[in-house]
Amino acid sequence: MNGLLSKVNWFALAGGITTIIMIAASMVYPWWQLTVGDNLLTAKASPVNTTFGALGTSFAIPFIWALNVVSLLTLLASAVAMLIYSLVPRNSYSKHLLDFGYKKPLFIVIFFVIGLVATTLICQMVLSLSIPLMGSTTSTLSIPFLPGVSITLLLSAGFQWSFLVAIVGAALCIAARLYHKKVASVPSM
Amino acid sequence: MQSQKDGSIGMDKIKLILTLITIVITVVPIVGVLLANQGNLEGLFIPPEINDIADKFSGSGGSDGPQVEKVGPPEYDAASRTIRQTLEFKNTFPLDITLKSMSSDVQCVEHGFDLGASRIEEPVSIPMGETRTVTLLITWTEDAISHFRTEHPSEENVQVVLVNVGVDISGIQLQLDQNQMDQRMEIPNPAL
Repeated sequence: MNGLLSKVNWFALAGGITTIIMIAASMVYPWWQLTVGDNLLTAKASPVNTTFGALGTSFAIPFIWALNVVSLLTLLASAVAMLIYSLVPRNSYSKHLLDFGYKKPLFIVIFFVIGLVATTLICQMVLSLSIPLMGSTTSTLSIPFLPGVSITLLLSAGFQWSFLVAIVGAALCIAARLYHKKVASVPSM
Repeated sequence: MQSQKDGSIGMDKIKLILTLITIVITVVPIVGVLLANQGNLEGLFIPPEINDIADKFSGSGGSDGPQVEKVGPPEYDAASRTIRQTLEFKNTFPLDITLKSMSSDVQCVEHGFDLGASRIEEPVSIPMGETRTVTLLITWTEDAISHFRTEHPSEENVQVVLVNVGVDISGIQLQLDQNQMDQRMEIPNPAL
């Protein structure tokens, strides 16, 4: 029994399970949320589900939806590969499964943060609208067709707990890669 | 030797399958959405809901702003130098709103003299298309009372204008300058 347990890559098992939990959570709870005014405009973003709300109407942007599906399937494939690998880390094909799965959650976290930063910078440059990544700020806009009127918007944004789950999942998958040498080198009983 | 070769071929197959999975899950959703929006590439980035929201605004008269009407004559409390004017505020926006605050300075139209400040008594939530009562309070300064006595000694009503109007609607703050809209009103002379 001990020999069997020592053959399991526990980091990969935990990473795979955490990634699946993260996928399920991210469908409902966004990684990052932006609110304008009293929920007049909202953006709820995660790599697997990004929705926008405006004046009580909720919608998704088709191209972002497609990217969300890519991320969802990528994370799912990564989680399945990590789970299979974790139980048979010394099989001949296991290293391939590990290589296939361990980087993807980290890359998705990194690309998500880069995408957010890029989007906020583009909004700043194009719309002169300062969007915070975390915390609250006010942004003042003048309306070209209504001279003499300026609008001040309260923007509140922040990362949510599901983002932390994603970071933990990505870290566990990286740890699984580092732990692989130790598991692979355990002599057979 | 033969078994090593078979193992290597097996490994290559697994690697190939994993690479194919990566390609398929990356390409299929994007190609699918591109095909679904064939002939309408704008639809890739602007969903129909955004057009619906724009239509709601253009069709509701929301761009004309809310409709505000005075109800009854203003009441004046000399002790607090405050005028209380009841207004009916119709929400013409295509959504429920909360009028959280409204404040302004008040000036004499004839002399441009600063008379005091106005504000609404309390926040009011107004469902879409409905009308609610809002109480506007205008508080005169002591200098304003002197101004009314010296500059408008015999006038029953005095024209005043609201300047630097700030309105907070559901967390969106609008700042209107003096020329933006007719913010003049006639008020009873507190000096009489």
